[in-house]
Amino acid sequence: MLAQWKKSFIFGGFLALLVLLPLLTSRSDILTWTCLTFQYILLSQSWNILGGYAGQVNLGHAAFFGIGALTTRYVWLWGFPLPLALLLGSLIATVFAFFIGLPAFRLRGIYFVIGTLVLAEILRIIVDTRFPVASVLPAETLLTYSLVSRYYLSLLGAILAVFTVYFISHSRLGLGMRAIREDEDAAKTSGVGILQYKLSAFLISTFLAGFAGGIFAYYMVAVQPGYVFSPAWTFDSVVIVFVGGIGTIVGPIFGSVFFVILKQWLSLHLPGGLHLAVFGILFILVVLYIPDGFIELVRRFTKG
Amino acid sequence: MLKIEDLSKSFGGLMAIHHLSLDVYEGEIVGLIGPNGSGKTTLFNLISGLLKPNSGRIVLSDRDITYLSSHNICRMGIARTFQLTKPFLQMTALENVMVGKAFGCTSTWNMKKVEEEAKRILEFIGLDEKSMWKASSLGVVERKRLELARALATKPKLLLLDEMMAGLTPTEVEESIMLVKKIRDSGVTLIVVEHVMEAILGLSDRIIVLNAGEKIAEGSPQDVVHNPKVIEAYLGEEAFTDFGS
Repeated sequence: MLAQWKKSFIFGGFLALLVLLPLLTSRSDILTWTCLTFQYILLSQSWNILGGYAGQVNLGHAAFFGIGALTTRYVWLWGFPLPLALLLGSLIATVFAFFIGLPAFRLRGIYFVIGTLVLAEILRIIVDTRFPVASVLPAETLLTYSLVSRYYLSLLGAILAVFTVYFISHSRLGLGMRAIREDEDAAKTSGVGILQYKLSAFLISTFLAGFAGGIFAYYMVAVQPGYVFSPAWTFDSVVIVFVGGIGTIVGPIFGSVFFVILKQWLSLHLPGGLHLAVFGILFILVVLYIPDGFIELVRRFTKG
Repeated sequence: MLKIEDLSKSFGGLMAIHHLSLDVYEGEIVGLIGPNGSGKTTLFNLISGLLKPNSGRIVLSDRDITYLSSHNICRMGIARTFQLTKPFLQMTALENVMVGKAFGCTSTWNMKKVEEEAKRILEFIGLDEKSMWKASSLGVVERKRLELARALATKPKLLLLDEMMAGLTPTEVEESIMLVKKIRDSGVTLIVVEHVMEAILGLSDRIIVLNAGEKIAEGSPQDVVHNPKVIEAYLGEEAFTDFGS
């Protein structure tokens, strides 16, 4: 298609534009939407690692987003520096994942899918009942609330996610994960340690999901604890990944942009939560007719 | 090299392998034959760790590998192909072979080396022109060769081939026989399961015959072919009676 240097040039130029955006505009709506897009890129790419590359459908993704969010929020509001709070959020989410992963990966196929969903829902219900009151930023913090700093943090998160997926896809890790996705028995007898690789994908995925949660917790003025455990976070990620292109680097990026734009447009024109129904239908159509996502569609057209 | 000691495996009430003992010596090509359902593929599954036996031992070069996990058995030098090929469909032929190279005996993180070696193996097998093709677009015969390439990439000491020749034309069978001999000459010991008789008789140094999970005969190809017990076991099996005398 395009020469490698041209690709890098376009990519670099685009990245530069994103970095300079807060300097080019002060419209908070553009910055907010872009900021949210970055967060969705981070969250969807994290699901892509386990679901797209390793082929393990984790419907409990929201649990790790939530754990990261609450941990970061409380640690930060207790007075600890933000970087530490973010790191702790990601790490605690990963630790949880380790202990959930060991038994969960003994479940085969559909049972793993259901099991992860159930675990996440249990966690959400516990959090909802024990911490029903929303956490609101204290007045001093509210006064110094800067959208721009949150914009750059989200951009950093998105870049980290994309580079992680890029690294995985070009490394032995990615090779092993994809082999497991394609055929576990053949992967086993070719030397791939199944549990080891599934767990690795899981831990990387949940670390990034926890980081996404942490960024979100920092971003939101008021957060009801149960909200960050809502399964919508999981399903939004799944829809984005499938629509954009599962198991690809660029897929979730396009998916996130498309998702945020469509979501904004739909919520303006459709009542209540009806835009969720639209996404549900879109997801079904994609899975049935373009399972490889729009990226694959584009590739097929450009190959001629 | 490989010792199977009093191995037994049952599925529910069915005895798939019944107190089986056999030896495989370094450098030889052992033909493993027997009527359908005699336990050949089950034996391969047991050796490669996909199944665990009810009793008995599998020993590779004095190491008990009976209960090792499959990927460790691969790292110890045993590779196998599957009767119904199991390619990594959404990955290219090159990537399929790269998995074997990256995770096999010479397990490595250096992707460049892995790619180079995988290319070399594809050339050896004759699939290098289609190295960038997705495995899903390869034909059955090509998939069998790809599976062989992937197994070879793990640098095995012992290679288990499960019905490589099924469905091949006579010319393809000839080519495959030469390929297998080349593989043995490069220092790999082989156990070959086959129904295609010319292939088995042409390749094997020694043949072991299974029936209903037990070893009923063992010896040179000529001895086995004339063994009354073997002929009886195959009575009604076209493939064997065609070549009976």
